[in-house]
Amino acid sequence: MIRTALRHHAPGDLEEAAALLAAHGERAAVVGGGTVLVPSLTRGERDLDHVVDLRRLGLDELSGTDQELRIGASVSYADVLSAPPFPGAAQLLQVAAGGITGGPQIRNQGTVCGSASYANPSSDMPGVLVALGAQMHLHGPEGGRTLPAGEFFVDAFRVAARRGELLVAVSVPTRPDRIGYYKFKLAEGSWPIATASAVLPDPDGSLTGATVTLGAVSAVPLRLDLAPLLDGNGDLAVPAAEVDGWVAAQVPEPWDDELAPGDYRRTVAGVVLRRALQRAEENR
Amino acid sequence: MTLTPEAPATAAGSPVGRSVRRKDGDLILTGHGAYLDDIEFPGSVLHAALLRSPHPAARILRMDTSAAQARPGVRVVLTGAEAAAATQPIPHFYNPAMVGGRSTDFHPLAVDTVHYAGEPVAAVVAESLHEAQAALRDIVVDYETLPFVLDAEQALAPEAPRVFEGWEDNAVARLPFMEGDATAALAGAPHTLTGEISIQRYQTTPMETRGYVAAWSPDGRLTMHASTQNPHPLRSHLAQVFGIGEHQVRVVATRLGGGFGHKFHSYPEEALVALLARRAGAPVKWLESREESLLVGAREYLHRFEVGFDAEGTILALQDRILANVGALGSSGGWAQAFVAGLTVPGPYKITHYDVEVAVVATHKAPWNGARGFGKESATLMMERVVDLVAQRLRMDPAEVRRRNLIPADAMPYWTAMKHIDSGEYHAVLEEVLEAADYEGQRAEQTTARAHGRLLGIGIGFELAPEGADLAGSLVRGHDTATVRIDRTGGATVLTGVTSPGSGNETGIAQMVAAELGIGVDDVRVVQGDTDLCPYGYGNFSSRSLTVGGAAAVLAARDVRATLAQAGAHLLKTRVEDCSFADGHLIDTASGQRLPLPEVVNAVMTLGGVGLGIDESQLESTRTYSPENVHLVPDEAGRVSVYPSYAYSAHVATVEVDRETGKVTVLSYTGVHDCGTVINPMFVRGQFLGAIAMGIGGALWEESVYGADGRLRSDSLKRYLVPRAPDLPWIETRSRETPSPFALLGVKGGGESGVSGAIGAIANAVNDALLPLGVHVHEMPLSAPRVLRALTDQRIRP
Repeated sequence: MIRTALRHHAPGDLEEAAALLAAHGERAAVVGGGTVLVPSLTRGERDLDHVVDLRRLGLDELSGTDQELRIGASVSYADVLSAPPFPGAAQLLQVAAGGITGGPQIRNQGTVCGSASYANPSSDMPGVLVALGAQMHLHGPEGGRTLPAGEFFVDAFRVAARRGELLVAVSVPTRPDRIGYYKFKLAEGSWPIATASAVLPDPDGSLTGATVTLGAVSAVPLRLDLAPLLDGNGDLAVPAAEVDGWVAAQVPEPWDDELAPGDYRRTVAGVVLRRALQRAEENR
Repeated sequence: MTLTPEAPATAAGSPVGRSVRRKDGDLILTGHGAYLDDIEFPGSVLHAALLRSPHPAARILRMDTSAAQARPGVRVVLTGAEAAAATQPIPHFYNPAMVGGRSTDFHPLAVDTVHYAGEPVAAVVAESLHEAQAALRDIVVDYETLPFVLDAEQALAPEAPRVFEGWEDNAVARLPFMEGDATAALAGAPHTLTGEISIQRYQTTPMETRGYVAAWSPDGRLTMHASTQNPHPLRSHLAQVFGIGEHQVRVVATRLGGGFGHKFHSYPEEALVALLARRAGAPVKWLESREESLLVGAREYLHRFEVGFDAEGTILALQDRILANVGALGSSGGWAQAFVAGLTVPGPYKITHYDVEVAVVATHKAPWNGARGFGKESATLMMERVVDLVAQRLRMDPAEVRRRNLIPADAMPYWTAMKHIDSGEYHAVLEEVLEAADYEGQRAEQTTARAHGRLLGIGIGFELAPEGADLAGSLVRGHDTATVRIDRTGGATVLTGVTSPGSGNETGIAQMVAAELGIGVDDVRVVQGDTDLCPYGYGNFSSRSLTVGGAAAVLAARDVRATLAQAGAHLLKTRVEDCSFADGHLIDTASGQRLPLPEVVNAVMTLGGVGLGIDESQLESTRTYSPENVHLVPDEAGRVSVYPSYAYSAHVATVEVDRETGKVTVLSYTGVHDCGTVINPMFVRGQFLGAIAMGIGGALWEESVYGADGRLRSDSLKRYLVPRAPDLPWIETRSRETPSPFALLGVKGGGESGVSGAIGAIANAVNDALLPLGVHVHEMPLSAPRVLRALTDQRIRP
């Protein structure tokens, strides 16, 4: 049961939404699908006076140009999954959305932008968005601005939104990159322990220019350029154990929680990276 | 008197032994089965919320409730001191003093000292749950935090902080279980090996959590609707706590969405909710949140064992030192699982020299309550690993070592120090599971897989499940009572002292009564859980609902049937012995004449005692059934046995370990079990499947993790991983029926079988997978991080 007297706002435009968030600061939060916020209020973990509901803002757009797809803040995982196949790299988002734990109840309610704003290290979206080089569209009292995903995720559960700002949409590129996603979790109900999103831009099929972004292994996603591991042909030049060692070295401060200690995450980071690459290869 | 199994009078067409659909199954599936929170109570019901201590050990210096009291909607704010002054201490479900252990008094709220993080320290009643919960933060508590201890071994150190004031140390009890001379037999054994294995704290996560609604009527009578497994004992306990007559208390156990021992009574919240209702002068409701529910512990044990054996794999002696971390004890009786853990050793094996000691240790974790398996899972895990370690040392097949050590069928009934095992065909069930799982074929596949570097493991688990406990001196006993009445339409009503945790035992009891009276299962109504209606009984525990609750109903139905037969014989001018009952009719088997049952009932009720040649005009009987095969008075060898019935099962699991991540995937699973005569194969299979799922979950994922601050970190189902369907393989089951010679109808308990065997089988399978690498993991659960650590340690070994 929500313990505080909570004022529910459903503003009709972004200016009003931004003004509410600016006015109430820490005492207000944005509610999208509510899959995280509502249970945390119910359990008394968060204490708010105001919630700003996105439902009247018309942020349910899922639209594309020839270069990118724009996903509004109210677009749920179910919307992403029921849309026609995303072109190019953007497909990564659909692949990851299909593996969201919690069944239809969560996928019908939960949103891509909500997950990004929550910035739980043990979740799919932050890593996927950083991997894609997504653009995060914010709106605040001073109007709109756009940040690359890599700058949006500041720390565990902390994003680069200023007072009064809300995430209104993300744009992901539809470049014809090959992608591969690998999520490692302990059991079906588990949050991800480590995720890897491979993005392979070389049209000739080598790993030249490839990146793999690790999620859930540290407070914020780690986007790794594979160049140090490649030979002149853009092929992986080192054995698996060496890849793992190199990857582990890129995770100086692994995320640690009751499901898996930090050293475990660091150890399996290389494994999930290699498996994501393998999936990308299979997508050739 | 020894009751011999007797086929029901109407064996042909009898519903016993059939997979009859559950009586309330359609209601539940369509959302019409009301659970506690669905019940509409007359008048306005107030809501309670509990303030729980954030500290594992602290003194409460001061509590200021004035701000909470002043909040809108708040009716009552109660402190521990006020609660203790208004009540007697909560009776222990099983008092450790019963076995010579240390004990202490427990109250509805912590009084001066907090013993675990999560212990309730104050309560609020308000007009809405929202207002009640909101008021909690306005209660100001000054705590003086105290040193605390979470680990059982550390808790036994002389300098460890004491959980309870005045205790010399933190040992609740030290319980010996022994037979023969283990020390001498170990010294003389050709081979010995030692080891250590631990099982983690974890619980049963019933889908429906606990809850209570209490109301006092103007005449001073207390009515409590409770999501509980023991309505009558709860009534006794509430009467004692409030110092009122037991007849002044009515407890109604509501439909349960799972029990598993989690809903045994003697929690502090039961008396607390009743007290709050009394203070508020209105009905009060409290529902356990999932976070609160996850506080309840069980199953945290460490075994240190030594086993002696010969070159043929015969186990000659076993020593086991068990540490049980039972948390801050509490009145709820969970600690008694540690007793059962010791009692269960050496399980299904014929080991004549053993020496077990269980140290039951209090720590600053939340208290235990019952958890399906009730300690047997821990004993089974240790025994099953021991057998596999012997096999490994001798390079024998683990199945063969079991063949050489299982108690042979011709040795039944079989005495150990604490068990008189009724019956069983262990070797036959072992062979059956090996055959059903294609064990030999799987071993061949494993050889190929290993050659390809795969870590494939096959594990056998053999479980002995003592059931139906009759612990004299505790608040629950082994016997139970039922009333059967037949009405003028030919239908029967059964009032029973046993309750259903949601397993469908009401349907099983209906089948048993229907078989006796020759009527349809749908013509039998089973009433459970209401202390105003049902005879005194012990509710649901130790898998005894059909063995004693069903048996009592059968005895009562036979009384009714005897009266009907007498009347029928008179009406049809035939002999009583020729009267049988089927299809809702009384049938004269000599002449083939049939009388519809309602006619016979009407004749008895209108003419009984007058013109039917019978004295009886009442078609109702109440009978108590006490389990046979309980031996509470030591025999000349000093042996006692509190469990009357011994179900058992054999399991084969095949797993694959991901070498790179340590993650275990269960590839296949086969279980064969025997709980004697089966009343409803579908329900028995359902229980077996659920128990196996619970066993696999505990073996691989479920764990109540505490932080260094002494708080439970696994406080939601995202942090406490219960298996979901995709985590489990298809589970192949078979069953065998070896009737108990000591039980009416030969029935044995079937509600827990499978948890322990599954834990043993999975632990053996994972360790079998790791065998080529020369490592083992003896720390449960076998989660990916733990398994990978073992693999990594192996890699860095020179």
